[in-house]
Amino acid sequence: MIKKLFIVFVASIFSLNSFSVFAKTTVTWWAETNANRDPVFEAKLVDAFNASQNDIELVMEFKEGLNDILRTAMLSGEGPDIVETPGPSYVKEYQEAGLLKSMQGYSSQYGWEDKLLPWSYQAGVFNGEFYSAPKTFETMIMLYNKTLFEENGWKVPTTLSEYEDVASKIKAAGMNVFAYGSTGWQPTHEHLAGMYLNSYAGPDNVYKALIGEKDWTDPEFVGAVELLRKHMVDDGYWSGSLENYYALGWDDFHAMFASRGAAMMTIGTWTFGATAAGFADSSDEWDWAPFPVLRDGGADPAYLLALGTTMSINASSGDPDAAAKVFDFIFSNKKIVLDMAADFNFGEFVVPLYFSADDIRNDVSPQVKRYLVDFAEATGKGDYGYTTWTFWPADPGVHIWKDMEVVWAGDISVEDYMYDHQKMWDKARKKGELLPVGAR
Amino acid sequence: MSIFFSKNSIAWYFILPVLAVHFMVVALPSLLSLALCLTDWNGFGKINYVGFENFYELFDDRYFKKAVWHNIIWTCLFLTVPIALALTCAYLLTGITKGQMLFRLCFFFPYMLASIISCQIWKYIFHPLYGLPAWLNSKGIDLIPAVSPFTMKETSLYAVAFVDGWHFWGFLVVIYITGMYQVDNSLYEAADIEGATKFQKFRFVTLPLIRPIFIFSIMIIIIWSIPTFDYVWILTQGGPAYSSEVLATNLYSQAFDRFNVGYSSAIGTLMFIYTIFIVSIFGVLRKLGWEI
Repeated sequence: MIKKLFIVFVASIFSLNSFSVFAKTTVTWWAETNANRDPVFEAKLVDAFNASQNDIELVMEFKEGLNDILRTAMLSGEGPDIVETPGPSYVKEYQEAGLLKSMQGYSSQYGWEDKLLPWSYQAGVFNGEFYSAPKTFETMIMLYNKTLFEENGWKVPTTLSEYEDVASKIKAAGMNVFAYGSTGWQPTHEHLAGMYLNSYAGPDNVYKALIGEKDWTDPEFVGAVELLRKHMVDDGYWSGSLENYYALGWDDFHAMFASRGAAMMTIGTWTFGATAAGFADSSDEWDWAPFPVLRDGGADPAYLLALGTTMSINASSGDPDAAAKVFDFIFSNKKIVLDMAADFNFGEFVVPLYFSADDIRNDVSPQVKRYLVDFAEATGKGDYGYTTWTFWPADPGVHIWKDMEVVWAGDISVEDYMYDHQKMWDKARKKGELLPVGAR
Repeated sequence: MSIFFSKNSIAWYFILPVLAVHFMVVALPSLLSLALCLTDWNGFGKINYVGFENFYELFDDRYFKKAVWHNIIWTCLFLTVPIALALTCAYLLTGITKGQMLFRLCFFFPYMLASIISCQIWKYIFHPLYGLPAWLNSKGIDLIPAVSPFTMKETSLYAVAFVDGWHFWGFLVVIYITGMYQVDNSLYEAADIEGATKFQKFRFVTLPLIRPIFIFSIMIIIIWSIPTFDYVWILTQGGPAYSSEVLATNLYSQAFDRFNVGYSSAIGTLMFIYTIFIVSIFGVLRKLGWEI
């Protein structure tokens, strides 16, 4: 009898061991599908991670309309281990609903706070705990046709007077000042609103308004929106007129910029690939500069902080430890991150790590290399502004771009618009809907 | 026992699977959605009962009122222009013997196109840089300014309605022409003997005899105008400056941009009540003996 029990015991130990040796924990990650991006994720992230260890099998599933599918799955207690959202406002909703797992313990264990740029880490801290890591960052910049500027002796503007001066010279030369448009993506207006608010009112004032120490009805914010209205409606800086700006889409304004239809383009850093492609057949050269400072007294231009996508761990994940290991693999591998980001022309998977010039591949264009190093350096020192899609709660975040059209149409005064905006902030603050800003 | 196998019961057995599916995917979500209008649910977390607060807020919302007004304009436009065009064309087509199918196909063709395709076609036609007006202007013909009507607040709603009407009116032509072929030819012969003109034949013979189809088309236009969404969303997303905002785009934006699911359910509830009201009117008319 004892012999039999011993055999059963040994056999069961053996079978358990053999099971754990051969079976891997599976970590699932749902991402928005994109025919160009998906194979790069598979080859350079999934395969690399799976080859790096024997315990975890990372499986990325690419979904069409991820947001809707994810929300349905999460609400029913299902979904992937790694949850990808379009930004902090979504994280806030999931976190409040108890659908995300706090990653504070993992962050302390792996030292993520030291690996990620401070502002991007802070944007993932909700109620004092780390809930979401940035998958990519971006900022707004001003692209310009370098050859055209040199030919005409135009100076890249850094102040309001230089900005308006070069704009009038560009118009006099028969070109549009900026190529840009909003068809197909109405929230494009918030790119401009964010730039003007930070540049005219200053990032310090924007920060104060975000944390409730200033009102959006204060003169510096009203002035910023009024200046944007003047440049958009009265002066037609973007694509020649408000109507053209509304009518042009991504391909249109890139074509306009590359073919000298416009001398400059205000846009996010997600455009590097498209701009380089647009200028590939042209003898012109493009470059970028920070958006000028539009307030009196001048100051150093500031990069606006923006998170494109976030990554979190599902509260119902079967093995959150394994999911955290995937994150740590990413945050500890600058080479993989930069290699993938280069494949996406730095429009995707630019995880906000501390990059130096030596980390970046030699085939990356000097313009992009300069941006990556400058951005990490400047924002690491705390010199930055705020984008609306990363730091504005949902309701005021929609109001800033949707109702901007009402201002541009002349149906409401800038003062009334900012009054409504402040009311929405008050309501969001009262309901506890504010997003993490981080101390400045 | 026999009641379970009676002719009537067997019919129910065949309907049952469809009813079950309908209950799960239409009726139940609709009922839940109706219940949500009394909450402040954001689509993610806790659901709190707020009574009629969403409705009070709604009646104070200037963009909701604007959307209601736009839906009324939309309904009026579709009750007039496409119907008038379709009736005229259908009547004229009944007099054509050769090539009639070709005309019918041409008129009906836009209806077969996906809305995204119809919208892209018209967006390109009115593109300010590469569209037809821009091309004409480049040839020195300044008939139409090279500005897209979808981007001007004065014209956006009408421009979108035009594109939707362009896709829809061929459908009306087909159903009207089908109705007109049901009219007994001897009535037209009698009218000819009486010396009736073409218009008199249309007014006193055709129109009264296609009345059930005609009234049906009015009913579907009113009902379909309430949730109109795709053309507006693709062409203007309700802009510029809410100038083409309709109830469905307002509802969508509240639910998916602003996370105000309770509030958007209140909009949906009002749309539902309005639809029930319209259907009831037609029900009453039917009871009163109208041939609908």
